[in-house]
Amino acid sequence: MSDTGPRGYAARARDVLRDRPEMRDSVLAATHTFDANRRAAWESIDADAWRDWMRDVKSHLLGNLDRYLEEAEARLTANGIHVHWAERARDALDVVADVAHDRGVRRAVKAKSMLSEELGVNAFLEELGVEVRETDLGEYIIQLLGEPPSHIVGPAIHRSLEDCQRLFHERLGTPRDADPETLAAAARAALRRDFLSADLGISGANFLVAETGTIALIENEGNIRLSTSVPRVHVALVGIEKLLPRFEDLSAFLQLTARAATGQPIGNYVSLIQGPRREDEPDGPEEVHVVLVDNGRTSILADERAWEALRCVRCGACLNTCPVYRQTGGHPYGWAYSGPIGAVLAPGLLGLEEAMPLPFASSLCGACADACPVRIPLPELLIYWRERAVEAGLVPAVERVGMKTYATGADLPAVFGAASGLLRRVPWELGGRALPVLGSWTGQRTAPEASPATFRKLWKKGIE
Amino acid sequence: MSGAKRRILGRVRDALAKRTPTAHPGDFGGWRPDGAADRDAVRGFADMLTGAGGEVVLLGSAEEARTWLADLAAGFGSAAVGAGVPDDLRPALPAAPPEEAELGVGVARSAVAETGSLVLDARDGRRTQLLPPTHLVWLRTGDVHATLRDALLALREDLPSAVGLHSGPSKSADIGQILVRGVHGPGRLIVGLVRD
Repeated sequence: MSDTGPRGYAARARDVLRDRPEMRDSVLAATHTFDANRRAAWESIDADAWRDWMRDVKSHLLGNLDRYLEEAEARLTANGIHVHWAERARDALDVVADVAHDRGVRRAVKAKSMLSEELGVNAFLEELGVEVRETDLGEYIIQLLGEPPSHIVGPAIHRSLEDCQRLFHERLGTPRDADPETLAAAARAALRRDFLSADLGISGANFLVAETGTIALIENEGNIRLSTSVPRVHVALVGIEKLLPRFEDLSAFLQLTARAATGQPIGNYVSLIQGPRREDEPDGPEEVHVVLVDNGRTSILADERAWEALRCVRCGACLNTCPVYRQTGGHPYGWAYSGPIGAVLAPGLLGLEEAMPLPFASSLCGACADACPVRIPLPELLIYWRERAVEAGLVPAVERVGMKTYATGADLPAVFGAASGLLRRVPWELGGRALPVLGSWTGQRTAPEASPATFRKLWKKGIE
Repeated sequence: MSGAKRRILGRVRDALAKRTPTAHPGDFGGWRPDGAADRDAVRGFADMLTGAGGEVVLLGSAEEARTWLADLAAGFGSAAVGAGVPDDLRPALPAAPPEEAELGVGVARSAVAETGSLVLDARDGRRTQLLPPTHLVWLRTGDVHATLRDALLALREDLPSAVGLHSGPSKSADIGQILVRGVHGPGRLIVGLVRD
């Protein structure tokens, strides 16, 4: 990897496309399955009405976020949960470190959380001497490989069965040709020991209900329920945009998030957590903490256009349907969130300069907007960030000047006519590639054959 | 108020200062194509859970349930039993802690037809619901709600520290996109559905 973060996107995407055909195959197969399952799952409900309703709930929530944050804090506190506020990643990490230190934590089990990826929890805790174990099977695989997740929902979709057979043979001693059941059983046995000996469970939150102070978590394996039930301390990392107003609002969000992500009617396991173990309960954690994380979210909220991206429920549907993401998977994007939503969140959470060139890593085909369960206008937001990048001088000068020249010329019919007449005679294969903008565009694409006459001439004659 | 809280809320208020807040859209209607919602709730629940890999056994009476339980228990060596299970529905098996028991037995507070979900209460014991490889859950037909919204509205009135919605056996497709069961939670989920 030549350059860390989004800036190395083009080089890393090229590496995958050129040198990792097997990774491309795995990502294509998985995203195709996810996307087909979503489409089928949307057919048995009135998906448009559900999406409108969820969009409106989230927009209402974000428009009143201060009030709902205060309501949530009051409710969580009344439920016996410790509430912390974190402005930046480092503040959230310090909260986790303090809890781990105060409670003598030596081992932590983690339920899959994209926010914890955003914050860099694992590396931070391990430096403090806390052993951190990812427990989602996909997260476990990539933790053993030392890789970041490549997809919001399926972190290891870029890895094949053969990759896992090799990895588990080396690390867990399973036979080289073990079937998936055998591999999963080996992981289950190893992780069961970790669940039973861990002092701390770390999770994210799919939703946080203001009305009841409920932390809602969706999963399929049972590792999130175990991580939040067995260790004596539970810390939930929650982005401030994850709130929902009312408990009953979960009825749509739990269902459509699952339908959008994997096509299931609901996640196999849903946890609805209201606090630590109570006197009339046989088990559960002694202590529960919620860390409310900003880390750039308030700057997205302040943006008149980009705030709509905060409706995101992290289902991954826009990744699965994106023709650009499908070719490479998530690693080239260079940070926690990939695909269309990653390209839209990056300028807000990382800063526009740091996020380049992700808003350009899209064909603007619009498939992502059709897949989004909360109707985030992803193509419009990609264009918006592109405009902002041009204004900020973050696109190559030759492209900026070229586009400006085009805009000036296109405004003057005589200039436009003369220039298009000239362009029709450019011999692309000989010298055309030397032209600014058009040259670099045709460098990776076949130049189209020019029409023998201009459109205006054809129009006058009457187009067939 | 902590400094961080004050600053975050301050930034939220600044961000929203010039924006007109929109209204909550009201109650979720659970909209479905015509006819899709008109099914019998108990049958709908059984169909959904079975479709997700669970097993549902419809039992006509408590007596029938006891007979059936005796047969089922014969296949297991030990059991961990939830705090809410009535005495006559406890298997005649040696007790074991949940991490060692072959069978976990619990009661569902309610169930949801539209999603095929069991609503499990922490007061019954979370480990018993999660650690044994097979999980038997008792459910009464009268406790099956048609929609998730109905179940949540009933639940909201009395929330324990944790509720688990279980809608099938534990599963994962993280290894090469091939579906396997029993990854962390129970690989076998059996519902003893007793008629009221």
